[in-house]
Amino acid sequence: MRRQSPRKPEPRAKAASLAGSPRLSRRELFARSGSLLYGTALASILGKELFPPDPLLASGGESYDLRPRTPHFDPKAKAVIHLFMNGGPSQVDLFDPKPLLRKYAGTVPNRDLTSDITSPTQSGGLLPSPYSFSRHGQSGMELSELLPHLATQVDDIALIRSMYGAHFNHEPAIFFMQTGRTVATRPSVGAWVAYGLGTENQNLPAYVVLDDPKGLPVNGIANWQSAWLPPVYQGTRFRAEGPPVLNLDPRPEWPDSLAKAQRSLLQDLDRAHRRERPHEPYLEGRIASYELAARMQLAASDALDLSRETEQTREMYGLNREETASYGKRCLMARRLVERGVRFVQLYIESQIWDAHSDLDKMLRYSCGKTDRPVAALLTDLKQRGLLDSTLVVWGGEFGRLPLSQTQASGVAGRDHGPSGFSVWMAGGGVKGGTTYGATDEFGHKAVENRVSVHDFHATILHQLGMNFRDLAYERHGLHERLTDQFPARVVSEVLA
Amino acid sequence: MMFHMTGNRIVFPAVLLAALLLSSAASGATPSDLPTFKAVVLPILAENCLMCHGQEPRQGGLDLQSAAALLKGGESGPAIVAGSPDRSLIMEKLVSGQMPPGEARLSPEDIDRIRRWIERSAPKETGLAADGKGAAHSGLPAVTEKDVLPIFQVRCVACHGKRRQEAGLDLRTRASRLNGGRSGPAVVPGNPDRSPIIRKIESGEMPPVEMQLANSVRPPTAAELQLLRRWIAAGAPPDPPVAAAAAANGGPAVTEKDRKFWSFQPPGRPPVPEVRSQQFVRTPVDAFLLEKLEARGLSFSPPASRLQLLRRAYLDLVGMPPSAAEVKSYLQDEEPDAYERMIERLLSSKHYGERWGRYWLDLAGYSDSEGFGAHDRFRPYAWRYRDYVIRSFNRDKPYSQFLMEQIAGDELADYRKENVTPELIDRLAATGFLRTTPDPTDAPERGFIAERMNIIADEIEVLTSAVMGLTVKCARCHDHKYDPISQRDYYRLSAILQTSYDPYEWLPPRKRRIPIGLEREKAEVAAHNRPLKDEIRSLEKGLLQEAAPFVDTLLEERLADLPEALRRELRALAHTPQDYEDGELSRKFLVARELDQDESSEVRRYLAGKFKKTLQIGLADLNRRFPGFAPKTESLRKQLDEVKGKLRQEPYVRALMDTGGRPSTTFLLKRGNHLSPGDAVTPGVPAVLTNGVIPYRVDPLKHGQDSSGRRLALARWLTQPGHPLTSRVMVNQVWLRHFGRGLVPSPSNFGQSGEAPTHPELLDWLATEFVRRGWSIKALHRIMMTSTAYRQTSRIAPEVLERDPENVLLSRMRRGRMDAEALYDSILKVTGRLDPRPFGPADPLETRPNKEVVATGSKAGFRRSIYTQQRRYDPVSLLEAYDMPRMTPNCVERENSTVATQALHMMNGTTVWEHSRYMAGRIIDRVGYDPKRQILHAYLKALSREPTEWELERSRAALEQFADHWTSRLRDDRNPTPVHWAAQWRALSSLCHTLLNSAEFSFVD
Repeated sequence: MRRQSPRKPEPRAKAASLAGSPRLSRRELFARSGSLLYGTALASILGKELFPPDPLLASGGESYDLRPRTPHFDPKAKAVIHLFMNGGPSQVDLFDPKPLLRKYAGTVPNRDLTSDITSPTQSGGLLPSPYSFSRHGQSGMELSELLPHLATQVDDIALIRSMYGAHFNHEPAIFFMQTGRTVATRPSVGAWVAYGLGTENQNLPAYVVLDDPKGLPVNGIANWQSAWLPPVYQGTRFRAEGPPVLNLDPRPEWPDSLAKAQRSLLQDLDRAHRRERPHEPYLEGRIASYELAARMQLAASDALDLSRETEQTREMYGLNREETASYGKRCLMARRLVERGVRFVQLYIESQIWDAHSDLDKMLRYSCGKTDRPVAALLTDLKQRGLLDSTLVVWGGEFGRLPLSQTQASGVAGRDHGPSGFSVWMAGGGVKGGTTYGATDEFGHKAVENRVSVHDFHATILHQLGMNFRDLAYERHGLHERLTDQFPARVVSEVLA
Repeated sequence: MMFHMTGNRIVFPAVLLAALLLSSAASGATPSDLPTFKAVVLPILAENCLMCHGQEPRQGGLDLQSAAALLKGGESGPAIVAGSPDRSLIMEKLVSGQMPPGEARLSPEDIDRIRRWIERSAPKETGLAADGKGAAHSGLPAVTEKDVLPIFQVRCVACHGKRRQEAGLDLRTRASRLNGGRSGPAVVPGNPDRSPIIRKIESGEMPPVEMQLANSVRPPTAAELQLLRRWIAAGAPPDPPVAAAAAANGGPAVTEKDRKFWSFQPPGRPPVPEVRSQQFVRTPVDAFLLEKLEARGLSFSPPASRLQLLRRAYLDLVGMPPSAAEVKSYLQDEEPDAYERMIERLLSSKHYGERWGRYWLDLAGYSDSEGFGAHDRFRPYAWRYRDYVIRSFNRDKPYSQFLMEQIAGDELADYRKENVTPELIDRLAATGFLRTTPDPTDAPERGFIAERMNIIADEIEVLTSAVMGLTVKCARCHDHKYDPISQRDYYRLSAILQTSYDPYEWLPPRKRRIPIGLEREKAEVAAHNRPLKDEIRSLEKGLLQEAAPFVDTLLEERLADLPEALRRELRALAHTPQDYEDGELSRKFLVARELDQDESSEVRRYLAGKFKKTLQIGLADLNRRFPGFAPKTESLRKQLDEVKGKLRQEPYVRALMDTGGRPSTTFLLKRGNHLSPGDAVTPGVPAVLTNGVIPYRVDPLKHGQDSSGRRLALARWLTQPGHPLTSRVMVNQVWLRHFGRGLVPSPSNFGQSGEAPTHPELLDWLATEFVRRGWSIKALHRIMMTSTAYRQTSRIAPEVLERDPENVLLSRMRRGRMDAEALYDSILKVTGRLDPRPFGPADPLETRPNKEVVATGSKAGFRRSIYTQQRRYDPVSLLEAYDMPRMTPNCVERENSTVATQALHMMNGTTVWEHSRYMAGRIIDRVGYDPKRQILHAYLKALSREPTEWELERSRAALEQFADHWTSRLRDDRNPTPVHWAAQWRALSSLCHTLLNSAEFSFVD
């Protein structure tokens, strides 16, 4: 349980020894004395310029900041864009063709099929997909006609058809996908990545969330929580409309030059205060955090300013069409953020548009119409800028759907939740393009071949970022907490180049 | 994949299995055609698996050396389900590549061989014919009561148990199963096929499809069904008496070495050391600290200034700085005991409980919301627990009593027989301590056993981390790796809660209420609701009128095919319920009458039952049939929802209470999985805690109350004076809040994986002193705060920094940032916006157009943060930015971050700016427009001191500059008020705003 590398900043290995140390580590000092720092600029001030001989700072140990950290091994990807398709996209209508559904339409051939049903009373027999599938690209990957744009990118994506989850309800299933457990009390994968790697651009958050302006996803802000990881690692919401961060801009009723005058007074008062109190790094930290706040105002506004993009780019992402404008905008923002060194960008979709309990065709056409073009544009754009190799793009929901029909009050059939087998895909960041991995049974219900668990999925994401899921740990109540917890997990190397 | 087609019917696996066995028998297959375990499977397993699953000790308790052993399985349950590869765990592990671990994989051919063996040969080889016969000579251990009890508990007792006995059937005990219900015995010993319970499960009749979701129940698995069959086939035997006794007492032994670990020993009473600088010893605390300081050639730092000390004490004890008047009167008090008297004043302030109660709420994981779903469901009466905690701290309730009430307030006396008094409500509300964790089970789809187990686990985490300073979470799935806490210990703790949180006959939050309240409260709610209810009634009448013609049409359509006589009869049976609860009507416009036994004929009663569904017409039915109905009534329904949303709930206490009656059995759950029960366990506490402690013992409650007394026994066990942990853990918590670091630096972990105490003697001296002084928390404050150590300066001298760099020895006072609540409350106090009214329902929050979440104030201002809604989602933005914890499930020690978003909230947020304007207005009211006096008062209010000469000058220059900026802005805006005065006001607002943003304001020297 000892740190393994002399390099600094070090990887988040299984940190700290279990035996009580007679000396407080730097991180403990900071945690107790009131400061967790935010920023390279600050850390370098603290570490080098201010108190070079300070034994406080020579004592090593970890501080909870966002400085970039060296991974465990050479990473394939530097950043992640997680296109979270919350609601549960239907695998048999999008990614996983099952011709047998037609043959046995209307029947329920075995008990397994009904074991996951949330509403047994609404359940009917097998429902064939109304869509045709065809092969695309050099790889010949089969995709549904609902994804014509993604179809042009298949040679860059690895499709996993054998994911399985743990719960048939949205809330726990989403928690499971985000945190590895079905409960609300653990850090999300983005928070783990920020904790493990810090971030490249100290003027922007490490973990940015672009939620849908139409409303928060299920589980709300708990989706990007850091739980018991230090709060610096939680996701920061950037809003697509107006100022991206809460209270980023000076108050509108203030005179233009007031904020500057006020900052100058504050600086004078704080510096005088600090002079009277030597050897207090966290006072310096506080002052620096105010300076960073001012810089962030510029950096965030610049990152999200889409007016700097060419008309061609805007067109490609679908910004000029009502259907795709909203999601396209966020996909484009994601690219700009990754370009600027943000580590983990996560996109959400307005509440549950994939959740097609009824009116399957209408709902799927809506959700695919909204996302297919922008997602394909994001892949194309990342590739043409040379960013795809170092950016892992992940697409998927919290579960899939059952191959059975579900009939609710409205009368037009849909599908109920299906956690036992569903599809996700990855692209870029060292992923083997054109791969189709794993399989569900004849009806697309249960993953049966090369099954991939959510923990495997998480382990694979960490691996591409250069981290070993067994070693990325945080000490809490004397436990080495990990993203994959104590669950068995493996890196799905078959989808990696 | 194997499947059978029989029209649209669902075919159940046991039937499948039977069919399969029959067909193989009928086809005349000889044993030689079938792959045998020995010839086909064992060689594969020997090569790949037996190194870990062969000889003892076996991984996961799993033995793979024989067919019988596979069927028996390990910690994760049976490895195979004979006849069903798809349901066999071993297949899942092999196919997914989880096993064997590492890179090695079985070849597809080998996997297929094992698959075929499970499907075709295993039923025969394990002796498990479909009737379960043959188990006796299969080499399998006999199945007895303890093996099948978990199945009944998990799958059946929700409807056939303690609270409900559908069809008169209780499936909790062997006797009650044999006894049966209205349709006879459920079990026919020796004959699975003729046992109704097997028939009904296999046919899919039980558990009923339409009831599964409502009761959060799932049907038994194929493996469970096989076990039931075997049990019945063997004659439904009870447990042999020996097994039951062994189960209760076994478990890994705790060694004497384990017991000797310091924190498992009762605290001693070390002598107060003699030190060289005896003049610095004000309380024994100083002597213990000086001993270590002197050993390093150090002593205490010089005292802090009176002003610094005053502000420090105020923020520590009441969480807000002193007002200008309080500063003045303290500085004028020149008596030698002025400081001690000031501490006494603060300890008797009603704000003291609001500050220290908040710390306890952290430990308890208090929240006003459920923490689940899109709306983060609100807990309307959770505040009673919050008020109980605040009152207890203000009254200096002995900590032992405080714990007793929180763990077992409902068992201290029979609350059902008492008059409703504020004291009774307080004592019951106290049990809210174990009702804090997120609980989604009001929604049936979130109410399954796995979720319930998570809730129980969270409550155990709250109890152990906050009160016992132990980390037991890992023992939920396996014996603790570092501490002598076994999995059995964990489930013994769990058994203490089982009579209140029964995972098998679960009560969702909406049913965990004691419906009592003070008359005054009831009258208030009734008065609030009366006009709303009238409004609801009239709206519902309107809706009913709108619906009437549609209801008639639909009913006639449904009856159309029936003979006229029957139609007439049914029309008469249908009626619109009038005695509806609020909201019932809009769901059901029409139902079949409830018929009394006496006054109606059997035929009518039969019809009412038979046509129940036909006669039931609700909103959904109308919407489905008449597309125009929903739009037509939309505005009415909207109004209804709106009015209903305004209804206040009848008063109740959100309590934890024992559910009475015969407790269900608690099982050790292998790997924490409720579907892999191990031995039964009895309630108890960690076996390592025996030295100097009276053992945990459950006594029947004296007053004859139908309550198990398990929690009361825990409370008594915890609060005995010599308990190794209880006093130490609390003393450490109080120390942590005063000195910024615990004497045990890991406050939730006093075990071997925690950090050792820096001053073990001091910790023990304080722990014993705490108990000697009647568990008085205020006595602890006095001892700590009147010490020389507490009164030191926080300024760091270079030589001190060198010898005690991390202040482990307390060679100086720590300088700390205010926590979220202190900052929020201090802003309210210094700006004059504080509404000091205590207690009662939490103040609502609102989201401003800029998305900032703030408290909704009143004319009187804003109450302290502890009285605002503590929501898990979307809490007050300012509090969240300053690390107010999200309770997951509780918080034993807060993080203290310094991040840019804090600066953004303080500089640009609504709250601070609006309060600054208010503060400036009050200063102008008091002293007018003289800048010097304005600055003086702003400093006195915000920083509890006068400005220096330099600060005065700098501020005066800033005021002028601000006024210029504001003047031009106001001119541009064509502000109607006289620009000069408005600009002066805003300039002073900006100065106040800057002072609130200064480092000095949010740090405590």
